[in-house]
Amino acid sequence: MRYRKITPYLFILPMVTGLVVFRYYPIVSVVVNSFRRWQMPAPPYWIGLGNYREMLGSAQFWLVTKNTFAFAGLYVPGVVIGALAMALLIHQKIPGISFFRGLFFMPYITSMVAVAMVWNWIFATRFGVLNHFLKIFFHVTDPIAWLADKRYALLVLIIVSVWKTMGFQMLVFLAGLQAIPRSLYEAARVDGATGWQVLFRITLPLLSPVTFFVVVNSIIQAFRTFEVTYAMTQGKPLYASATLAYYVYENAFRFQRMGFASGLACMLVLFVALVTLVNFLFKDGWVHYQA
Amino acid sequence: MTARSKRLKIAVEWTLMYLLLSFFAFITIFPFLWMLMTTFKSSRAIFAIPPVWMPDKLFKPGMWDNYVTVFTKHNFIRYTFNSFFVSFMAALGQLITCSLAGFAFARMEFRGKNFLFGALLATSMVPIEVTIIPEFLLMIRLDWINTYLPLIVPSFLTGAYGTFMLREFFANIPRDLEDAAAIDGASVFRIYYSVFLPLAGSALVTLFVLAFINNWNALLRPVFYISESHLRTLPLGLMAFKGAYESQWHLLLSGSVISILPLLILYIAAQRFIIEGIATTGLK
Repeated sequence: MRYRKITPYLFILPMVTGLVVFRYYPIVSVVVNSFRRWQMPAPPYWIGLGNYREMLGSAQFWLVTKNTFAFAGLYVPGVVIGALAMALLIHQKIPGISFFRGLFFMPYITSMVAVAMVWNWIFATRFGVLNHFLKIFFHVTDPIAWLADKRYALLVLIIVSVWKTMGFQMLVFLAGLQAIPRSLYEAARVDGATGWQVLFRITLPLLSPVTFFVVVNSIIQAFRTFEVTYAMTQGKPLYASATLAYYVYENAFRFQRMGFASGLACMLVLFVALVTLVNFLFKDGWVHYQA
Repeated sequence: MTARSKRLKIAVEWTLMYLLLSFFAFITIFPFLWMLMTTFKSSRAIFAIPPVWMPDKLFKPGMWDNYVTVFTKHNFIRYTFNSFFVSFMAALGQLITCSLAGFAFARMEFRGKNFLFGALLATSMVPIEVTIIPEFLLMIRLDWINTYLPLIVPSFLTGAYGTFMLREFFANIPRDLEDAAAIDGASVFRIYYSVFLPLAGSALVTLFVLAFINNWNALLRPVFYISESHLRTLPLGLMAFKGAYESQWHLLLSGSVISILPLLILYIAAQRFIIEGIATTGLK
């Protein structure tokens, strides 16, 4: 195939334009703006590290940060364990399995706002069906205010998020399971290994690179949580369910504090980078690659 | 082990597995079921204590009342149209942009190729929640607020995942096809357009469907860019509806069903593409 020198650049031109305008310019700009005070519609001016100083001294920022880590700390194991269990089940060759696979993935493709609506209704205090179940089966007579109680609101958001994204990570695990050579299982069977031995000695170690991928990916998902918060609690009660990405939105869009919100966005990236770095440091301890 | 005890063991295993599968299936399906059932209830029935399981309007005259109300009185026809339009345009744009770039990265040599490809992939590490503020300020300056443009153009032009996926696909197409077309005197664009694109049919469908779903469900950009009622997409319209009709659950959930149903139909129709697309590229 012969072409002029400029031709390849014409092919990638739309993508490079998008990359520069909507990805790289905003990344640079968000860092620059984090050193400015920018209370819209007033013009911005430099304040150096002022936004960061304000954050570190703000109890609200620390509460939101704590919530974000708590969210990740429960969401990630929830998704990993749930998705792995589902994938191990779906991997079995029994009749009707593709129906279940299709079903388990379904929440992932539905709109968060739409499902948040029904979850709000399920978790409703007086008329909610969950409190009704709790009353019948566990004799919890005082209805729990799931969304208004600061002990539970964040937990509810985590449960809904896990429910919604588990099906996606299940598919990733499933692809990993299908890549494990069958000969290993046959050898194990000949040697008389039990089901649990096969799981812990063959399946999980060989799946560990996939598990690592799922963990890293889920952490990023956890830190960028916005939709479920926006649709269900809006950070209420008193920021008890607000996480960083939601806090960025609130400061930028509701309070028009573009500089401060940019600083928050930078902290978000910093936290994700730190956690991912820690992940990579501990990787050798549990992730095994096939030679 | 005798044949009979072996069969017994398999029966026990299957029963156990189906029990576990049913448990997960129940958790998955219950919210959807409860949503659907509530939409066939009257406003009186939803606030019954204890909750009634059987919707009081199901298979009775006026069964579809809630849907009719939501569609005709609350602008959901318009929201549905907006969602369709925006998702379709953005997904179509991704196909064009990603297939052009994917073709160049897979089939041509040029200076800065690896650097540019790396720069593209690196962006998938930075979520849109971080870059939304400068993007918002940019849209204000372009005067694109309250138009369809900010919902379409950014995802039209960016697509690290799609470019990566199509590059992989194009790279695996045998060189002979390319050479044969070149000998016949076809231009590069012609080779891309009439040889490579038709071959990539299933990959293009996968990418289109995934992009359509993402844009259909997108919330962050509409929240920032759209405040006028007639431009709202379904998720945004649903949020506004919730703000105005707090606790009218039979109507709110009818709105939810309306915004889920088109995607559900698409999902059932294109399930193979979606699941394969994620299973094969989610890993790399």
